[in-house]
Amino acid sequence: MLSTDRLKELACAAIDEKAAEIIDVAKDILAHPEPGYSETRTAQVVANKFTDLGIKYKQGLALTGVKGRFSGGAGPGPKVAILGELDSLLVSDHPHADSETTAAHACGHHCQIGMMLGATMGLMSPQVLEQLHGEIIPFAVPAEEFIEVERRLQLRADGKVEFLGGKQELIRLGEFDDVDMAVMCHTASDMGERKFAMGGTSNGHVVKYVQFLGRGAHAGSAPHRGINALNAATFALQAINANRELYKEEDTVRIHGIMTKGGEAVSAVPSEVKLEWRVRSSTPEAVARNSAIVDRCFKAGAMAVGASVKITNIPGYLPMRHDNTLQELFRKNSSALLGESSILVMSPGRNRGGSTDMGDLSHVIPVCHPYTSGAVGAGHSKDYVITDYQNAVVNPAKIMAMTVIDLLADGGVKAKEVLDRHRPIMKKDAYVKFQREQAEIVEYSGGA
Amino acid sequence: MPSKEDLKRLAFQAIDDRADEIVGLAQTILKNPEPGFRETKTSKLVASKFAELSIPFKAGMAMTAVRGEITGGTAGPTLAILGEMDSLIVSEHPHADAETGAAHACGHHCQIAMLYGAALALSQSGVLQELSGRLIFMAVPAEEYIEIEYRDSLRREGKIEFLGGKPELIKLGEFDDVNLAMMLHTTSTPAEKQLCLSGTNNGTLAKKIQFIGLGAHAGGTPHLGINALNAATLALTAIHFNRETFQDSDTIRVHPIITKGGEAVSAVPADVRMETFVRGRTIEAIMDANMKVDRALKAGAMAVGAKVTIQTIPGYMPLSQNQEMADIFEANSVDLVGKENVGHVSHRTGSTDMGDVSQLMPVIHPYVGGASGIGHGADYVIEDYKLAVITAAKALTATAVDLLGDGAAKAGTIIGGHRPEMTKDEYLKFMRRMASEETFESE
Repeated sequence: MLSTDRLKELACAAIDEKAAEIIDVAKDILAHPEPGYSETRTAQVVANKFTDLGIKYKQGLALTGVKGRFSGGAGPGPKVAILGELDSLLVSDHPHADSETTAAHACGHHCQIGMMLGATMGLMSPQVLEQLHGEIIPFAVPAEEFIEVERRLQLRADGKVEFLGGKQELIRLGEFDDVDMAVMCHTASDMGERKFAMGGTSNGHVVKYVQFLGRGAHAGSAPHRGINALNAATFALQAINANRELYKEEDTVRIHGIMTKGGEAVSAVPSEVKLEWRVRSSTPEAVARNSAIVDRCFKAGAMAVGASVKITNIPGYLPMRHDNTLQELFRKNSSALLGESSILVMSPGRNRGGSTDMGDLSHVIPVCHPYTSGAVGAGHSKDYVITDYQNAVVNPAKIMAMTVIDLLADGGVKAKEVLDRHRPIMKKDAYVKFQREQAEIVEYSGGA
Repeated sequence: MPSKEDLKRLAFQAIDDRADEIVGLAQTILKNPEPGFRETKTSKLVASKFAELSIPFKAGMAMTAVRGEITGGTAGPTLAILGEMDSLIVSEHPHADAETGAAHACGHHCQIAMLYGAALALSQSGVLQELSGRLIFMAVPAEEYIEIEYRDSLRREGKIEFLGGKPELIKLGEFDDVNLAMMLHTTSTPAEKQLCLSGTNNGTLAKKIQFIGLGAHAGGTPHLGINALNAATLALTAIHFNRETFQDSDTIRVHPIITKGGEAVSAVPADVRMETFVRGRTIEAIMDANMKVDRALKAGAMAVGAKVTIQTIPGYMPLSQNQEMADIFEANSVDLVGKENVGHVSHRTGSTDMGDVSQLMPVIHPYVGGASGIGHGADYVIEDYKLAVITAAKALTATAVDLLGDGAAKAGTIIGGHRPEMTKDEYLKFMRRMASEETFESE
């Protein structure tokens, strides 16, 4: 029987052999970006690779998810998922943006698919796999970026999804029922000299789709007959900003949004104005508290000019809780691969401010969501590009493969330890119930 | 029987003979400015002048009013000539009272002098015997709608009910026996020339607003506070967001001030107060704008989770003027200053409680020049007292002679043809209905 270290060497060697192939996958996806719940081409790339590798898979999960599954040769044991996110953002001025759809991989998800496949290939090396227990689930998941809210609400109305985030929907569908723990790795551009980082947390959030309804009128000849929905919305935004002094630093409150419709023609009093809004905070309680403040501001906007407002509150993401045992494995393996000085471990309270649906999964099963270097530019901006595919794809593929080997070698004892130590914050049913309770429609008429 | 022209000549002579004294009265009042419902020195001065003229009077109604009365040779209707006693508060005005900041930045001191000049002319020149009916010379308080806090305290003490002088005098019955009323206001607007006929004025109501938040250490625990200043500034913004819905023809004016904006910069402001007027050309327009202002104030409170108390205080009614009286005044103006020096304006967007009187009876409220600067500003001063006081007194006197001469034929025609907008009871009911106090608390 080979040592765990030897298994890791073999897996890493296999990944090195496939390095060009997995980087090509990432670059192919970069060239064909697709936003959440419409990643059909990207999903097919994954499905084709699974077919090539002889991995059984299901596809079309939560519209586009592709879930592979293969077993270790050493017998039954825990089931470990390696996740990769399929979706792009919309950043029209990104150098790799789709000129038609404006979709662009400005958050490096294309690398996640490359590294997920790379880790899979490493683990499938015959000498490695035959010594692993349990099952490995390479899983390409849709719609991590919570964008295009109006379009996704339509999907919800059409009964195609219930939750607007991919992992949320997959949890609801039971696609994590047969997964004991999950790992993934996200690219980052803000690591300085470090190459790999882990720990910290992320914000939870609630997503709002807001419609102000006024009354149209000729803006020149009869403005007194109109009710200006744009003024209602503008007032609401000022009101939101006036409340910022209420937010506590430890809550890492982020309140932001966009106006997706600001009127139809400049010669008419705007009668309908639409916003997509987001309230992020470090705890679900703070999200709820700050969400209520923002709702009150939207209502005040309606009242200010006698308009009405409909706020569709959509369940957002939960804060990230990394599993300590998994994180320790990531720390050891990344240190071994890259050198200890290249590794950054963030304290559990360090909140990066963003949100991810991996946070949701972290409330249900043990997960770890570390970061790898290789990107430059501000995340979600036109400047965010991958400059070092070795760091962005190959190294994390190796680190994830090494971590899975730790978990499933030796009779899967380490994975069992993870499970024994883990106390889920919510069971799946409680999670689904909790998130359903976050969905509400608030309607308010500010008319006198 | 002397003609009206003869009577006017006699009366004008009486004014000219004592022109220095009449102008001197204006200048004395200028040096002793007193804001509304505090015009005690001015009131005493008017009373002493009426006493000198042996005009019977009563004083102290609505705190400071002085009402003299003389009767013509034969019976007839009653014409009131009004003069406003009160000053503004403009501390940087050259004639401001150093202690109180009070200043005659709207020329009311000239009104008292011209009232005195007319009383003198009509009572001393011998024309009175030729007139039919009664003349009332009324020095009235508190035309400027200011110091709302002080006046509201007078109201709460039961000393007055309404915050403007003429509404209070109407309530007290001081206009019950008056059939026609007129006054003459100074102006600095060149377009209004030397004497100017005007048309309508905006009406207004007043509002006292208090935003109630929750104090907290602004550095240590701002999240525990509720910022009443943010509520107020957002409310102002909300008011502005409604401006596009105000129609040009309604000449809406909403112009708030913040009278208390917090106590210490290190504490989240918990108590912020505002005052505003809501002015408009018609009562309907005022009520519509007022509804929008109330909504905006509540939106400000709601935006930060504060509470707002809105007190709405009846202000002044829109002014409408009697055309036939105006025609008489215009003819006299042409005689006095020449046609080329008589101006016309149709609508003014300020407000006056002469509007309230105009709801009940035929009135005129024309303008006389002689002032320069911006009304209510630090630079509003009278430069031509001969015009602003002496010519003004003559214009009022001549108009009185025209109205009450010839057996008060003109006055009779005007009164007979006038359909008042409201009876006194209707007016009082309306004013009382406008008064409201409401507290809005956001959820």
